[in-house]
Amino acid sequence: MSDQQEKMRQGAEKLLQNEEVGYVIGWGTTRFADRTTPIFIDTPAAASDFVWNEYAVNSLAKYLLDDKYPDKKIGVFVRGCESRALNRMLKDKQVKRENLYLIGTPCDGKKAGRCSLCRERNPLLYDVLLWEPVPNVPAEGRFDRVRAIEAMTPDERYGYWGAVYDKCIRCYACRNACPVCSCRECYVDMSRTGFQGKQHSRSDNQIFGVTRAFHVGDRCIECGECERVCPMDLPIMGQTQKILKDINELAGEYECGLDAESENFLGAFDLDDKDEFM
Amino acid sequence: MELKKEKLPEALALLQSDARLFLPAEADGLPQFTVWDGKQAPCLSGNPPLPPKDVLFPRSEKMYGYNLSTGDVADLASPEKQVIFGIRPCDVKSIEKLDRAFLEKGYADSYYRTRREQLTTLSLGCTEAARTCFCESMGLDPADAPGADLMLNDAGDAFSVKSNSEKGEAVLARWGKLLTEDADKDAKGAGKDVSVHCAFKVDLPADLPERLTARFEDPAWAALSRACLGCGCCSYICPTCYCFDIGQENRGAEGTAFRCWDSCMFSDYSRMAGGHNPRPSKRERLRNRYLHKLAYFNERYGTTLCVGCGRCVDKCPAHLDITKVIETVGGER
Amino acid sequence: MAKKSTAVHPAAAENVTAENVPAAAQAAPAGVRHGCTCEGNPLLPQICRVIRITQETPDVKTFRIQTPDGGKPFDPMPGQLAMISVMGAGEAMFSITAKGDDWLESSIKRVGALTDALHGLAEGDLIGLRGPYGNHFPVDAIKGKDILFVGGGIGLAPVRSLIRYALEHRTDYGQLDVLYGSRSYADLVFKADIFENWPGKCNTHITIDNAEDAWDGHVGFVPSYLEEKAFSPEGKVVVLCGPPIMIKFCLDSLMKMGFSKENVITTLEMRMKCGIGKCGRCNIGSKYVCLDGPVFSMSELDELPDEK
Repeated sequence: MSDQQEKMRQGAEKLLQNEEVGYVIGWGTTRFADRTTPIFIDTPAAASDFVWNEYAVNSLAKYLLDDKYPDKKIGVFVRGCESRALNRMLKDKQVKRENLYLIGTPCDGKKAGRCSLCRERNPLLYDVLLWEPVPNVPAEGRFDRVRAIEAMTPDERYGYWGAVYDKCIRCYACRNACPVCSCRECYVDMSRTGFQGKQHSRSDNQIFGVTRAFHVGDRCIECGECERVCPMDLPIMGQTQKILKDINELAGEYECGLDAESENFLGAFDLDDKDEFM
Repeated sequence: MELKKEKLPEALALLQSDARLFLPAEADGLPQFTVWDGKQAPCLSGNPPLPPKDVLFPRSEKMYGYNLSTGDVADLASPEKQVIFGIRPCDVKSIEKLDRAFLEKGYADSYYRTRREQLTTLSLGCTEAARTCFCESMGLDPADAPGADLMLNDAGDAFSVKSNSEKGEAVLARWGKLLTEDADKDAKGAGKDVSVHCAFKVDLPADLPERLTARFEDPAWAALSRACLGCGCCSYICPTCYCFDIGQENRGAEGTAFRCWDSCMFSDYSRMAGGHNPRPSKRERLRNRYLHKLAYFNERYGTTLCVGCGRCVDKCPAHLDITKVIETVGGER
Repeated sequence: MAKKSTAVHPAAAENVTAENVPAAAQAAPAGVRHGCTCEGNPLLPQICRVIRITQETPDVKTFRIQTPDGGKPFDPMPGQLAMISVMGAGEAMFSITAKGDDWLESSIKRVGALTDALHGLAEGDLIGLRGPYGNHFPVDAIKGKDILFVGGGIGLAPVRSLIRYALEHRTDYGQLDVLYGSRSYADLVFKADIFENWPGKCNTHITIDNAEDAWDGHVGFVPSYLEEKAFSPEGKVVVLCGPPIMIKFCLDSLMKMGFSKENVITTLEMRMKCGIGKCGRCNIGSKYVCLDGPVFSMSELDELPDEK
């Protein structure tokens, strides 16, 4: 790991020295050894601030939306999960490939719950790969949690999600951390429209949960950021995963973000669609 | 005075007999301040991720009802007796700060005031500091809450009990024969375990408010805000954040007005009709939040709006840290 | 601990001290700041009736408001604010542009959801009203002085309350000049006032940005008209209100003309929810526009962070 960290620092330093990028996004230290925070390095000397350890959990892709029209390329470290997010963002025309310099960093998994379900540890797109790809590990039980919820009676299921959304404080961390949640203005913030009640109640919370799930469900890359960032530890990726599971069952194998060309399932139009009204 | 731990359920039942009793307990798999069901075991260690702010300043509350055809308006403030057991000294301090904001400077907020007058706080001193606790740096004693009505501290098989107010005396009177004299009065004093200290510290310069205000245009604000995701997590889990929104809902000719928590980190928070936003990006919003806590509140009320509970440090999705803000922008130059 | 709050009526609440009333408002006794009928709850509106609606410009209407039993809802000072709600559509803060014996008026530009709803009201409809909020123009501190009112567009609305006050207390003040401009003739507000009621009682100088066929008055922007008029700063205070860009250029002009920032007074607007300095939205630094404002002198604004 420390060897890899050294490669990352050197790689970033060189890019900054050669002025190939304006800055590089990676992970830096915090006051706690087991936590890192995203950092934005713009001088070669500061490239030694980058760290790479099992606590580099934050997804970096989302930060690219903060700077859509950069003067110079943005350098960013890219693992499997970041690359899947980027494929989706490229397809959704949220970022331009020519604005990015992708530094591939194959990943052995971090201390985040989602990593146990990871099916793509190596970056799927990159400009440079800093070290050899790592073998993917077959992830068991992708939809186990969804199946458990499907097995409930309707009342049990309502009780389950009701209890989840009673605890939701609607801080919108899940929305803000999600790399494929990319509207310039979220429906939640359109306070004039009344789409989203501002009161904190089970029903208003659930409206938010359901709307979020449907807005990103068929573009969800299962990176798990929504659950990692939730201060109430709510199992909300179960909702987008339910949509993914349904798509898998209706239309065959479906994974998001494996390339930058595929349409998202609910955004695609096909004359052979099963539902004739489409 | 002492309350034997075995007597705790009985003592809680007495509190509950004429008031809504909140205590930290495991509910739905999460430690939280919850209305006691008469059976739950209170969590006697740690502090729940959400403070009991909700008890005084609900996430959503009805303010008034109105009838459009008659023109009547009815205040829906509900004076209900409430007790919080097991509130930590940091959260007690946060109530003292909320008191300043809601009750002073020209207007008293009647919804808050009604609840505040009806609230009794029974604080439980800390026996351990979580790694993100920095209340000592903010001038607090983790084992003592002078602002609580009653102070309890762990004394082995009992809690030492000390009243700080008339409301505290009333609780003592009600507990009456459940209480016993301290077994070892001299050694324990007020039962305070003085060995609790925060390992997490931040140096708070005396002129921090002036420094931060003078550095309003400091580039550090932009740098600090880059990792911020712009969510409202820090505000909502903060025991001292008190921003709110007001709205109305009609049902036919009748309607109710409500208020609910809001966060200055949200993009629509200060956006005006017509689109102008004086705080258009997360740089301005993050700066305003920290300046409110560490400078503006001091200017208005002579005290910081932070109690060092460490919740924001613990829960920030981007692992931002208020102590780092203090050091980065407020440090010696 | 129970910090016992003894306040029954908010106006009698603790801590209304000189220290939290900005200099501009200190001339007024604290009790004047809140004269409503809220019975201890400053967030509670009273239901009032819109008794007259005047279409001032294509997108500005003036609403005359009265209690259902025909009275004045409360007695504001010039520059103070009122929270107006169309029940169900929400509340927003507006300046009170005029008061009569049994009514208040507010002039409102249509810019968003709530103002859409307000513009959809008919005479006789009910609205919610609470206030008055905020400080007011320093009517006592500027006694004996000349007043130059400078307004642009809807910015004449808050200033109108002070113009009316000064005309009602005519002998308390020296020379009164109203310099007002808008994009076009159609966009001039309070035409009855600026062309009929005020001329003769004070000097009026009206301008529009671009020439129009039927307009034989002055053409040009407010700041240049201001410089053309070459008002002397001697014994004069300026009350300046309009769009931010106009304020900026007018202030530059006034500085060139020798005015000091202490003698230039303006009113600010920010998004507000509570009106009583609690909800957090309208702060500029440690000041709340709803409570410590909306009236500030330019020198007071210089002390605040640049976030307007």
